[in-house]
Amino acid sequence: MVRAIKGTLVECDPSIKSIIIAIDSEKNDYIIEDLDESHLLIKDVMVQRLKEMLEERLKETVPIVENDSDSDADVK
Amino acid sequence: MSANASSLFQYLEQLKGTTFGRLYQQPSTTFAIFRRMLPHLAKTIVMAILYMPTPFLLSDLDIWIKPTAKRDKDQAISILRSLHIVLRDASPTISLNTNFKNSLRLALEGGGDHNSFGVPSTQPPPDDIDLGFLDRYARKKWDDILHFVVNSVGFSTSEKGSSGPKQSVKDLLIGGRLVERSGVTHRITQAGFTFLLQEANAQVWTLLLLWLEAADVASSSGRGLLGGLESVDMLSFFFLLASLEHGRAYETSALTEARKNMLPTLVDFGLVYIPPANPQQFFPTRLATTLTSSDTALRSVSAGFLASGEGGGGGLGDSAGDKSSIILETNFRMYAYVQSPLQIAVLALFSELKFRFRGLVSGHLTRASIRQAVDMGITSDQIISYLASHAHKQMHRVAASTRKPLLPPVVVDQIRLWQLDTERMLATPGFLFKEFDDYKEYVAICNFAEDIGVVVWRNDKKCMFFANKVEQIKGFMKDRKKSNESK
Repeated sequence: MVRAIKGTLVECDPSIKSIIIAIDSEKNDYIIEDLDESHLLIKDVMVQRLKEMLEERLKETVPIVENDSDSDADVK
Repeated sequence: MSANASSLFQYLEQLKGTTFGRLYQQPSTTFAIFRRMLPHLAKTIVMAILYMPTPFLLSDLDIWIKPTAKRDKDQAISILRSLHIVLRDASPTISLNTNFKNSLRLALEGGGDHNSFGVPSTQPPPDDIDLGFLDRYARKKWDDILHFVVNSVGFSTSEKGSSGPKQSVKDLLIGGRLVERSGVTHRITQAGFTFLLQEANAQVWTLLLLWLEAADVASSSGRGLLGGLESVDMLSFFFLLASLEHGRAYETSALTEARKNMLPTLVDFGLVYIPPANPQQFFPTRLATTLTSSDTALRSVSAGFLASGEGGGGGLGDSAGDKSSIILETNFRMYAYVQSPLQIAVLALFSELKFRFRGLVSGHLTRASIRQAVDMGITSDQIISYLASHAHKQMHRVAASTRKPLLPPVVVDQIRLWQLDTERMLATPGFLFKEFDDYKEYVAICNFAEDIGVVVWRNDKKCMFFANKVEQIKGFMKDRKKSNESK
């Protein structure tokens, strides 16, 4: 019998996916199903929270370059 | 169909079949839906079978359409079904909804005494009301509403002499979560930002749909605050307004009581004008008459921009009619010749403004400013299209003479990259279908879903697929089950 499961499809790079899985491994309350290397099914209510968590993790690992535009920044 | 049609389409799609039956009693509504909501192929199919005396075989339809366009045909039929224009049954023929058929015939042939296209007023209109006056009036009203939304960001853009929209309109914006109340002040929401950057036409529809929903809630809770307005009747009145002629006076007394009650709110929106000297007449403004036209030249395209530059004849969406002219340099600097506080506030949403002179602001696009905008829900494409549609004449001239793109590609790419930076994952709500009985069933259902364009992801090996809409798939599965049982 066919089943239709409500959720949010998340498409991302494999590297991001591994971070999401790491976040999920703490409590297992985000992921409904692991679809393939770049797709996951996430609970609808948790998407916003997951975005925030991901943002936090990325802040730790990816350095933010300030002023990467406007090379002649003579006006302050 | 453009972006503003899609929000209306979503609203229509969730209405019941009986509601459509009543909507299609009105020739003006029928005609508007036909004109506005259907893709070309669907229109062609409707016109072809409109005067057919007998039901039309689906297999005959297949002969008309090239096999390569099967996908287009399936989408057209699925849209016709979801709008209840063709009957939803599993029979091998298609036929039009009776009300729809009769009304569309009436609309095309004329005749009947339905008064569905408004009754022109017999009294002479006041002298001082012409197209220019109505445009200015509508623009003023609509700008007031936009100002209210922008003001809630906290930029000091209060303009003298502008009283802001009525409290009822404010409540509507708050109820629709375009702005949020936090204490005494208001704060704009993500939806509010998206609203601001839309075309005027899409903005009007957004607001009208909010009003419809508010009326639905009020009538279902029995409060009757809105004078017992019924959303079906309201919707057909919107379509009626859209079919009226701009700059012409219409008879108020020809309207039903419920519709007369709607007029004050429509006046607040700036969709109609009622001369104080003669309340027996009402004038639809450009905001109302372009509701169902696919002519989106109000703001976004350069035509609207040029028109407003040449004395503000057209371009209603171009706020306050000023020549909004933006020069964007390859070093991410932006100079904008704008006067209107409204537009300065919009620019400030995604750029870091540094100087403000009389008639000129200058600023930078920075990673931080774009990021802030993206966090508030504005997409990079919205920003780029805003910049492109408001580009200065000189930008157009240089681009034309050097055969280069209008905006510096380096800046455009960087804006996109900055957004990608913040969006590491793409989220789509919907349903995952799995555990099919056999591969054949999977292929049949998944291919159907693919044909109507709702499949976001599929994996044939695992026999699973993800769809962003399910209603029609459900119907298809039911039909399939039935036909299997009858075999």
